Amino acid sequence: MLARNFIKHIPCKNLSRHHILRDRVRPLIFFTSSTPQSSFSISASLSTSSSSSSSCFTDESFAAPYLSVRIHCPKHVVDPFSEALLCFGASSVAVDEDIKEEDDKDAASGSSIASKEICIESIFPVHEEVKMCISQAANSIGLKEIPKFKVEMGDEQDWITKNQDLFQPVEIAERLWIVPEWTSPPVPEAVNIILNPGFAFGTGEHPTTKLCLLLLQSLIKGGEAFLDYGTGSGILAIASLKFGAASSVGVDIDPLAIKSASHNAALNNIPLEKLELHLAPSENSSSGREMSLQKEQFDVVIANILLNPVMELADHIVSFAKPGATTGISGILSEQLPNVKERYSPFLENISTATIGDWVCMSGTKRGEFIDN
Amino acid sequence: MAAAKEILLRRPVAATIRLTVPAGGARPAPPVGPALGQYRLNLMAFCKDFNARTQKYKPDTPMAVTITAFKDNSFEFTVKSPSVSWYVKKAAGVDKGSTRPGHLTVTTLSVRHVYEIAKVKQTDPFCQYMPLESICKSIIGTANSMGIKIVQDLE
Repeated sequence: MLARNFIKHIPCKNLSRHHILRDRVRPLIFFTSSTPQSSFSISASLSTSSSSSSSCFTDESFAAPYLSVRIHCPKHVVDPFSEALLCFGASSVAVDEDIKEEDDKDAASGSSIASKEICIESIFPVHEEVKMCISQAANSIGLKEIPKFKVEMGDEQDWITKNQDLFQPVEIAERLWIVPEWTSPPVPEAVNIILNPGFAFGTGEHPTTKLCLLLLQSLIKGGEAFLDYGTGSGILAIASLKFGAASSVGVDIDPLAIKSASHNAALNNIPLEKLELHLAPSENSSSGREMSLQKEQFDVVIANILLNPVMELADHIVSFAKPGATTGISGILSEQLPNVKERYSPFLENISTATIGDWVCMSGTKRGEFIDN
Repeated sequence: MAAAKEILLRRPVAATIRLTVPAGGARPAPPVGPALGQYRLNLMAFCKDFNARTQKYKPDTPMAVTITAFKDNSFEFTVKSPSVSWYVKKAAGVDKGSTRPGHLTVTTLSVRHVYEIAKVKQTDPFCQYMPLESICKSIIGTANSMGIKIVQDLE
């Protein structure tokens, strides 16, 4: 069933306004510069320019300006025009569907030209020649005149703040909640993990995060050493400590993720001995594969990434687990599961899987003896 | 397809967004960020989903994504393989087509290249029922319009 087209329905949480108490409306400071650097042992060089508080979570690429262009074009050419725009240099093209369908029925009524037009919102990279691109696109589909358009510099803060709003408290299981930094927990007695994910992955809403959290809850009995490979916002590492693990280590290749994770650890009052964060070398960085983590040191290891990293790093990830320790792998789709199972069966036995929707979490215990393949 | 139409009709559609994103490389930065953020869609969920589904493509292949955003901030998306012109340019090793197609030939490609490209394109949802020959013809047409000639065999 190798359909290369995938139509995915992603239900979003019901965002109709619960009246979340917004009495703790704090200004958008992601990283107070008073957080002393020594609170967390973060190994490997991190460029921490914590001087300006609001820009801590914005890397150059995220804060990159962009051009936002509104184009008015005749309704009947919307589709070919959008495709043409993409070919000629637009980064993205969005068409609002908020049009009154009744006007369509009016036969050639010269009166409302406006209803025959649709507004397209397009995003261009900053150095692109917008006018040229639009005229080329119009020519290529045979429009006689260049459509009217308006160019604005995109406000990067705008969509960042809009994204923040979407994050609402999530109940993972009974008495386990993930709560955004700017909201107070709906159930104060439950285990509440306070998060500001920034640009890192892991708000608790995604099925894979849920699967991993549930797995973690069942595994941690107290006193374990936990490794979160691909920690993102640090949600799993922090959760494990809240469940009673003795210590947690989070690894990620993205410096922004490490920043986010250390910020979240502070939000949950986690002391430095308990949570270590490591920046793993990715292919782009020049440093070698030196990681100051010892092999066979952890009782529970979870890696929630994507298919390709999980396949490539199989040996590496499992090497950190003690024999008999449980290793969990997620971020994979059910169709990708057979490959992952095959890849990990030399190392893991008692493999079991949990599924939510299309997403799967696979876990197994590390074999005592390796089987040579 | 009828089922998809029904789903679309049931929920009010807020917008249709078209984007080009590198396979496995979706991040909440521009262009994905502002384009989706504007309609209050869950950026991270999209990135994770898109990346997971494009794992089988070579990293950084530019994929054409069409996202249908609904009024309740949920969304669906479909992913198409890159455009024929991208494949042709890649196969020929050129960055841009000819400035005067029809008059100026930039480079040549062999029939084998066309066949390989056609095979990939046939897995696209919209070309699935087309005979390979017609896909090849349309690829040759695109190549010609870019000033790239197709020859029987490259010397």
